[in-house]
Parts: sequence; structure tokens; C-alpha cells
Amino acid sequence: MEDIDIPLPDELEWLESQRYHEEEDDDIDPYPFPFPPDEEDELKSEGKAVSVSPKCVESQINAHKRSLIHEESVGPSTDKRRRSTPVHEDDEDWLRYYPMEKTSDDICRRDQSSPESEENMLSRYVSRIDGECIPVTAPNGDRVYAKLCRAATESTGKKMSSNFRRGGLISESIDVLLQRCEQEAFSKALHMSSEDQDAVELRETPILYEKLWVDKYAPKLFTELLSDEQTNREVLLWLKQWDSSVFGSEIRRTADDVLTSLRRHSSVTHHQKFPNTSNIRISWSQERSGHHPNLVTKDGNPKWNHPRTAGPPEQKILLLCGPPGLGKTTLAHVTAKHCGYRPVEINASDDRSSSTIESKILDVVEMNSVMAVSKPKCLIIDEIDGALGDGKGAIEVIMKMVSAERKFEKGKLSAMNEGNNSSRRRQKTSSLSRPVICICNDLYAPALRPLRQIAKVHIFVQPSISRVVSRLKYICNKESMSSSSIALAALAEYTGCDIRSCLNTLQFLNKKKEALNVVDISSQVVGRKDMSKSIFDVWKEIFQKKKFKNKKTSNLDQSSVSREFDFLYSLISSCGDYDLIMDGVYENFLHQQYHDPSMKKTVSCLNRVGESDLIHQCIMRSQHMHLQVYQPPIVIAVHHLIAQVPKPNIEWPKSLKRFRTTLMEKEDILQAWKHKIAPFISRHLSVKSFVEDFVSPLLHILSPPNLRPVAVHLLSESEKNDLTQLITRMISYSISYKYSSTELQPRNLKLEENIDAKTLIFDPPIGDYINFKDYIPSYHVLALVMKQVLLHEVEKQKILHECTERWPKLADNSKMENKCIEGTEDARSKYSAHRVESLSNIKMKYRENNSTASAKGTKDAKPGNAKGTKDAKRPSNGSNYFDRFRKLNSTCSQKTETVVVKFERDTHPVLFKFNEGFTNAIKRPVRIRDFLQ
Amino acid sequence: MLWVDKYRPKSLDNMNVHEDIAENLKKLVSEQDCPHLLFYGPSGSGKKTLIMALLRQMFGSSSEKVKVENKAWKIDAGSRTIEIELTTLSSTNHVEMNPSDAGFQDRYIVQEIIKEMAKNRPLVDAKGKRGFKVLVLNEVDKLSREAQHSLRRTMEKYSSSCRLILCCNSSSKVTEAIRSRCLNVRVNAPKEDQIVNVLEFIGKKEGLQLPVGFAARIAEKSNRSLRRAILSFETCRVQQYPFTSNQAIPPMDWEEYVSEIVSDIMKEQSPKRFAYSYTSCLCENFTFIIRKIIYISHCGDYFNFGYQPDTHSILFLEVLVVHRLLCIFCIVLCRLFQVRGKIYELLTNCIPPEIVLKRLLYELLRKLDDELKHEVCHWAAYYEHRMHLGQKAIFHLEAFIAKFMSIYKSFLIATFG
Repeated sequence: MEDIDIPLPDELEWLESQRYHEEEDDDIDPYPFPFPPDEEDELKSEGKAVSVSPKCVESQINAHKRSLIHEESVGPSTDKRRRSTPVHEDDEDWLRYYPMEKTSDDICRRDQSSPESEENMLSRYVSRIDGECIPVTAPNGDRVYAKLCRAATESTGKKMSSNFRRGGLISESIDVLLQRCEQEAFSKALHMSSEDQDAVELRETPILYEKLWVDKYAPKLFTELLSDEQTNREVLLWLKQWDSSVFGSEIRRTADDVLTSLRRHSSVTHHQKFPNTSNIRISWSQERSGHHPNLVTKDGNPKWNHPRTAGPPEQKILLLCGPPGLGKTTLAHVTAKHCGYRPVEINASDDRSSSTIESKILDVVEMNSVMAVSKPKCLIIDEIDGALGDGKGAIEVIMKMVSAERKFEKGKLSAMNEGNNSSRRRQKTSSLSRPVICICNDLYAPALRPLRQIAKVHIFVQPSISRVVSRLKYICNKESMSSSSIALAALAEYTGCDIRSCLNTLQFLNKKKEALNVVDISSQVVGRKDMSKSIFDVWKEIFQKKKFKNKKTSNLDQSSVSREFDFLYSLISSCGDYDLIMDGVYENFLHQQYHDPSMKKTVSCLNRVGESDLIHQCIMRSQHMHLQVYQPPIVIAVHHLIAQVPKPNIEWPKSLKRFRTTLMEKEDILQAWKHKIAPFISRHLSVKSFVEDFVSPLLHILSPPNLRPVAVHLLSESEKNDLTQLITRMISYSISYKYSSTELQPRNLKLEENIDAKTLIFDPPIGDYINFKDYIPSYHVLALVMKQVLLHEVEKQKILHECTERWPKLADNSKMENKCIEGTEDARSKYSAHRVESLSNIKMKYRENNSTASAKGTKDAKPGNAKGTKDAKRPSNGSNYFDRFRKLNSTCSQKTETVVVKFERDTHPVLFKFNEGFTNAIKRPVRIRDFLQ
Repeated sequence: MLWVDKYRPKSLDNMNVHEDIAENLKKLVSEQDCPHLLFYGPSGSGKKTLIMALLRQMFGSSSEKVKVENKAWKIDAGSRTIEIELTTLSSTNHVEMNPSDAGFQDRYIVQEIIKEMAKNRPLVDAKGKRGFKVLVLNEVDKLSREAQHSLRRTMEKYSSSCRLILCCNSSSKVTEAIRSRCLNVRVNAPKEDQIVNVLEFIGKKEGLQLPVGFAARIAEKSNRSLRRAILSFETCRVQQYPFTSNQAIPPMDWEEYVSEIVSDIMKEQSPKRFAYSYTSCLCENFTFIIRKIIYISHCGDYFNFGYQPDTHSILFLEVLVVHRLLCIFCIVLCRLFQVRGKIYELLTNCIPPEIVLKRLLYELLRKLDDELKHEVCHWAAYYEHRMHLGQKAIFHLEAFIAKFMSIYKSFLIATFG
């Protein structure tokens, strides 16, 4: 390239036009898979000669029609086709076009003679320009088509002819002058075009001379891509999977071959990335070029638009995500071109409301049927996560189309083959038949949630620094800018391998005629990106010592330390969540392999962590958020203490959270239990005192070792007494047993003698409070049988307790005594019946029993309870009236049942309401004298 | 019901311990009025019992008829409404609650709920005197500073109709302002002979034969907490009735666990474990290791040449020694990690970190040499202070343990080296 600082404007334009053609050439990849290779060559030669034959009429006619539907996309493609057609001398298509050539010439002449031809010197669409035209890139990036006026054709405008005449007077050769003529025409056209947009500004300011290096050196070929090989290949693989549906069956076999080879390669590269990539490339290109001939010879005009049974890939949308500047957009474009698509990009600068986007996508989809020969399109939606409201429109449309597709496929699988095109167009929401690539920076943006589920997601990783550096080096050489690879590496690292910002920086420096300097990269022009790394990266940086810095410590000791400090400081403060960082440090630092014989480092490390906690607490209390600035230095101090070179193995800090949640749970259990205990006991019991003093003795007391696991009636008098005491205790502290499966209580397993599926544990699980890890509690665990007995008794007592609660009202009334006895007797008879019979027929049995019980009364009830014999003591000896009844009634069973007993004070009959799930309440008046007979 | 609750004195007249306080309180409420009261003292000393007896003295048996209320309060705090659920015990004349249950929202409880309750003046009682209401607030020391500040005003403003009885463990965590508004009643932990008296009283009531010195042993083990003494007494009764004087008194499980932790900590450092390899070699540190390695290599040479067949076993021993030496540094950290897990276990089971630290120190001091005790105590106090200032107790607990390990290790090196 020439000296860029002082280019002549016309030179530059010429350059630009040249470059455009080069670009056009590059658009066709080196392995033009769907296109024959000779076409490419022809195009190249064409482009260089700028000799475009004016055979645009046929396409023009078509284009006029189509431009109404889809002007933008049609234009360039027709242009391309127009240029490509003449070279196929043997092509039948061309023969068809040939006769039209004359008419086109006629039209051209006719048009040129008309006054409108001046206005049509420049247009956005080829179809608007008559005669030869050339694509030009305007300074604002638009592609325009300038009319090409030629002396050779003898049909030039007035200006051209005047120039031509003057040429005779000067000594320069006519060719030179002609060229200049052309350039002038270009420049004029360009001026005009820019005047159209902003007429005032561009007259004074010179046209932008330089192209951004980013665009200039953007990869044109698939092999030039800087991004990770594997990602590239996978994206390519995905796009290739569309081949069968987009390009038709002719190339299907090839596609399959390519797919398998691609798969193989991507798996190979997955295992060992770099050593064999070049081999792959070679073999790959060979394979492809070998396949090309049969592609073209079979059918010169491959039918793109007949999707066959082998449909598109499972996931119809590709979602690329990754930090900016890694080349996602470039990858999408290059791969799409590589696979023979024409990328259509929708980015954040476009209107992205759902209506416009829908029409755009529809355009892309419908292209296949109208345009017979042109490349199919590939939709690239850039920055899809961008603005929430706008981006959503796009996502909605895509989602709609995908879901429509699914329904469609489900509905008529058979109809797929024959009437696909027609039926699809008739549908209101047409389905996706072209690849859609979405690009985003933040994969987890809320707007992307639906898309994430259906799309194939690829996450971009940073390319290796060496790759970036070699690329930068290459560009620097091309731009004849001096640079050292160390400086470039530093730059790449500094920007986090953001190629875009690297190139922009380099270009800026080049412009300023400064060289890139290693030392002052940070102080130099390079804008620091506000990077927010993931919390794992932050931890990694904290625990990992940088290796290469150790080498340089001899000469750059002071600065490297301070740089490291700066780096960590900004890293940590940009992360912000100091609390979490400290938790991570705390949980992980003991796994570090630092040398610490006297534990000094560990102690000071823990002190730092504690200090951070103090500061955090202080800040939270006082809400002085500005004090947070003192948090990062603490972390850095920890870093200096324990950072090691080997890669740390970091885990997410979860034990503290787990601790908090379990603590809450346990406290809740205790609180709930406390509410169940009678207030005159529970008021003396706090959570703290419970765990501190209460729980261990309580467990001992509740499981006395001298309680023999035998039936109750076999116990001695004192043992019975103990048992009743135990039961009353359990009731007054509302403790019971409950069944639990052993899986839930693995720690109990070793304590139980009986390893059954079900074990009995305390109902408020107070046993858990001393179940420490690796600790065997000293309290004696009762046998399962004993627990069952206790459970049974406790439940029974609870039921009776509800009765006794109501009795104090009656207690004053001595007359009620009989009634009470009656009530208890009644209850006993009922319970005995209950024990004998199954639950389903209890009602009947109860009645039956009751009717007989009227005569037999108490005698009948007694044999029913095997354990109840101990209660056979008649109430005569009891000093406490109610204790008598408690003992008397200790036979009620079945923990599941709920019994509500109601005594009515004024009506003598005892009302028993017995609710047992499905049974109905029973009311039956019983006379006291029936029992007293 | 347990003996703790069964033999809890109901009135000021039959207090077993703290008779002097009971006497004073009786005088105080003789005119059915009293100032605000602040009871403070260690747990298990009888604060709650005193308060209940005092209430009975004031209001008669009506104070025993309590009902539990679990009420959700909606508090309008500026822009948002806060919902707090609070459980209260209330009789006609008094309300009992635990404001620190609400955690960081305790301020609203004090500002709104307590104020609300204090405002509601009870009806004039039968004797024509102006009645007043008593609010019993438990665990005042756990109240946040803001809550305590808002309590201050409430105490003054509604003093005509409402008396506050505050109850806490440590008066130092109650602000000066509140302390000055109350009559402070310190409830000491009962002395051991007092505990013995109580135990004997219970034994007599239960009709038990107490061997000589048995009650004293329980009292000694009880850490001067009456509650614990009575509970372990009952435990002993359940375990084995005809008491024997040397009967084992079951310890608190968590305390056992702490002592396990302590022995873990100490075992690492213990010279007994690797008598030869560890204590004798650590002093010489790395030079020793290197010497060993050289020696091993020599032995290997001999072995290879077949001069001495016995060297095989010697060689093996030496390799073992070096291996151990190299492992030691790792073990320390592994040990610390284990200890962390165990401490988490304790904390998870609702045991307050202060108590854990206290117990740790206690157990450590029992096993330590005298010259270290002072230093270890100092650091325990240091880390406990930090624990109170901070939020994550585990950090500071572990820092203390690490500090102790460090001290102890250097002590071992200095002693045996």
C-alpha cells in the first residue's frame, strides 16, 4: 500500500474500488464448495479488468419485479450473477440470455439519451443504473453502484467527451487520461452520494482516507480465523448440516462425507489442538476439491430451493456468545460465506421491532423460491442480547418460527416432500428453512432465556495469546509498523485478547507515529477495558502466582510488584462481591500447598479473613459503603501470603451457606417444639439453654437403660411406675416418637440395633442436636419394641389429655363423677372394639359392641387390652382423681386416629364424636345406669 | 415433668437459692409497684425463676394463667411494610416476649410492638389502685444497639402504666442508658454448696437415698448451673437408681465433642505419637531430612552391592522417617481442615460460638503447660472480641485454633529441640 498519510483523493478512490474487487474475490472462499472453481477464476480476472459486460437486462427485468419485494438483497446478487453468466460459454442458461443482449444495448442507449441519465449516475441498486456500472463503497460504508462511463463504448455523456477532446492537447497518453477521467467521475459520484446524505458537512471535511485496520485485516478466509479451532469447526459443521435441506440432494453425499470428516477433525482437534491443524487443512481442501466436479457437471444450475427429506439440523439456531472483540461476527460471516451462503446481517443499529424483523426473516426464507440461481441466505442477528426491548422482538419471531416448524413437522410429515414450498408460503408464520446465527455477548441475558433452550450454543473462549500476537505481527509488518512481539503480547494480554481493541490501538499508535512500548502499555493510549471476570477467575488470580513475573523480578522488582498489586486491586474491586470472595478464600486456602512449618502464614491468613469480616460487618452496620475500598488490599495480602505457582483447584464456597440454612432449620425446629410445650415450662427454655444444658440429660432421661423391653403387664410395680413417669414426661415436653426411613437418618443407623426400613426417632428430632460427626452419643438408645410401646402409650395419653383438659370444668361438680366414669368406660369399650376389628367396619362393630356392652359393660372391655391389665387397679385408691382416669384409659391405640370427646354439661347423655377419616360421627346416648347394673 | 420444672420454686417465699434477692424483691413490691428491673447473670442461675416468682408476688396466681399467642404484626416502616411474627406469653397483667427473635428487625418490635403494648393501660383493678402492666423482655443483650436505643424512650414515656423487666446474661451488652433506667439485679450463679442443698432437697422430696458426696460431685460437674445440676441428677437417677458414690455422671455431649476436638488439635502436636521421628527430627528441620536422604542413598548403594543384607530394614525405616517428616507440614493443614468441619458441626447444632470458644479454651487449658496458659488466654480473648465484632464466627474460631496450633508448635520445638 502507498503512503497513507497523504494520499490523493482520486488515488484513494481508485484504491478503494480496487479493494472492493479484491474483497469480492475474497468473498469466494478458496474451497468454493458449492461453486465451481473456474467461476472464481473468471470472477477474479473480471474484477481486475473492470470489464463488465452489459448484459443486465434480463436480470434487470427480474430485479425490477423483485426489488419491490426485497430490493436490498436482490441487487447485489443479480449483479454477481450478471457478471458470472457470460463466462459459462457452454452453459445453457447463458444461451438463453444471449438473445436479450441486443435489447439491453438498445435500452441502454435509449436511456442514456434521456435526461434522467444524469441522475442515475449513482444509485444504491444496480437496476436503477443503465449500462455498465461499478460497485463503489461510499465513505459511510454504503455500497452504491456508479455508472460507468467509457470512452471506448462511444456512448459517454457530455463530460466525458469534453475530457476526451482535451486529451489531445496534453502530452500524456490517452490511457492515463482515460483513467483519470474515470476517477474523476468516481469522485464526483462519491461527492454526490455524500451530498445526498449530509450535504453540508462533507464538503469541508476531507473524506476519510484510512480504513480501520479491523475491517482491513478482517479474516476473509476460514483458515484465517483467529478464534478457537474447535469452535470454528463446530460452527462450520452446524452450517454444513443445513446443506442437505438448503442445497438439495445433489450434494448430499458430499455433504455427508464432509460432515463426517468435519466431525472427525473436530474431535481430533478437540484432543490435540495445534500440532495437526495444518494437516487437517490440507487433507480437507483436497477432499473438497475432489468433490467439486461432480457437483457442477451433474447440474449446472443446482436447485437450492428443494429441501429434501434430510432436514436441517436439530437445533435450527446457532447462538454464539462470548466477550467482545474475539471475532464472533467475523466467524459467522466467514463461515456463512464459506458454506456458500450470503450472510444477511441484522444488528443493533437496525430496527429490531418484531414486525420489521419478521419481514426480514421472511425475506430470507422466501428467497429460495423466487431466485433460482443465487446463493441462499444465512441470517446473522448480531447483538441479539443488546437492547432488551428490541432484542426481544427478534427472539420472539424466531421462537415463533421454530415452534411453527415443530408443529408443522408434527402435523404433516408426509406433506413435507411434495408441497413444501407452496404450503409454507401460504402459512402465516413460515418456518425456518435457512440457518440463523445469533450473536450475543451475555449468554445469560434474561431475554435470551427461551432462545437458549432451543439453540445450539457455542461459547467463545479467548484465542491463545501467541495466535493473536502472530496475527498482530503480520499486520504490523504489512503496515510497516515497528513492533516487538513482547510488546504485542503484553498488549494482547492487557486487552484480554480483544483483537479489535488491539488493532485499534495499534492503528492509533501508528497514526501518531509512536511505537508500542512494553513498559508503558498501561500508561499509553490503550484504554483499559472494564472487564468483569467471573468470580472463579478472581479466586484463581488470588491463589495463583504469575510465573513469568518471577523471572523478571531481578530487574523489574518494584514495578512488577506494584503492577501486580494494581492488577489484583482492579480485578477484585471490579468484581465487587467481597463477601463472596472472602468466603471462597476461606474455604479454599487450606488446600493450597504453601510452605508453612510454624503455621505463621495460616494464622495471619485467617487473621486477614477475619479482618475482612470485621470490616464487612462494620460497613453493613454503619452503611459507610465507601469503606469498601479497604477490602481489596486484604485479599491482596492473602495473595502474597499463600499464592503458589501451580494451578489451584477451587471449589465454590458452600459450607458456610449450608451451615446457615441448617442452623436456621434446627432453630426453627426448636422454636416450633417450644411452642408445643406448655408455657409454664417453655418459658424457662431458650434455644441456647436447650442445647447447652438440656438436650443431653433429656435424652438420657427419656431413654432409661433399665427399662426392659417386655410387655407392660410383665413389668414390676416400680418399673411400671417409672414407665408412667417417663410417659408423663414425654407428654409434658410434648416429645413423641415417629417413624422415619433409615435413608433419611443415616446417622441413626449405627445406633439402631434393628436395621429396618423404618426406625423410630424422637418426634421433634432432639436426638439430632447431639449427633455430631464422628461422635457416638453416650445416651442409651431404646430398643425398637420399647419405642413402639412408648409411642403407643404417648399417643394414647395425648388423646386422654384432651379429655382431661375439659374435665376441670366438671371437677367442681361432684355429680359429674359418674358421668366421667361412664365416659371412660365408653371409651374403653370403643377402643377394645377398635383393636379387634379393622378400621373399615369399626362403625358397625362399635354399635354391636355397644349394644352388648350395655349389659356386660366393663368386663367386655378388659380382655381387649393386653397391656391394659396394669390399669386394672380400680380408681378407689387414687388420691388424685384425674390420675385414675389417665391410668384407666391407657389402652387406646392407633396414633392415626383423632378423637374428639365432647361432654355436654346440661344434657346427661355422653356424646362421643369419633372422627376416623371416612367414618361418620357417631352420637349415641348411653345411660349411666346401664353400667351400674 | 422433669425435676427442673417440678421443683422450681413458685413464689418468692420458698426460694431455695438467692433468698436475699427474693427478700429484697418482696420488699420492693410490697406496695404493688416497682421500678424497671434488669436481671442479669449466667444461665442456670435462676433469673427466670425469680422473675416468675416476682410476678406471682405482684399479681397473685393470675400471673400463672398464661396463654401463648403467635401474632403476625404488620409494621409500616416508611416505604414498605414489614411483617414480623412474634410469640408472646401473656396473662392479664403481664406480657412476656423475646424481642431478639426477630433478628435484625428487632428495632421495629421495640419501636412498634412494645410501644403498642406499653400504651395499653390495664383497667383499674378492684382495689381502686391504678393498675400497671409488666413487660418481660428476654435476652435483652441480644438486641441490636438501635433497638436498645429505641427502648430507652419507651421506658421513660410509658413508665406510668408499664414496668419493664429485662432479663439477660451479660449486662455489658446492655447500653449504659438502659442500665441506668433500671434497678439492676445481679443473679449470681449459685455456689456449689447451694446446689448441693437444692439437690438434697429434691432427693428428700423424691425419697431417694443420696450417698455422701454424690451431690457434691454433681454440683462440681455442673459448672455452677443449677439447671444442669438438677438435670444431671435426674439423669443419674434414671441411669442407675440405688446411687453409688462413684457413679458416672453423664457429661454434656457437646462438651465431649469439644474435648474431642481439643485432643485432635493437641494430638497433632503431641510428641507421643511419633516419638522417634517427630520430636527428635523436627528441630533439625530440613538439614536433617537432607542428611537422612543422603544416608538412604548410601544405604542403597550398600544394598545394591550386597554387602549387608540387613540394611534393607534400616533403609525402610529411614525412608519412613523422611516420609513422615515431609508429611508433617501437610498434616497440620489437614488437621485444621478437619477441625473446621467439626466446629461447623457444633455451630450447626445451635451451639453459640462464644460457648464453643469458651469451652475450647477450658479444655485446652486443662491440657496445657502452665507457661503457655497466659498467652493462649490472651489470644482467646482477642479472638472472642473479634468474633463479637464480626459476623462469621467460624473465621475467628478457626483463627484462634490456628493461632493456638502455631503457638503450641513453636513451644514444642523450643522445648524438645
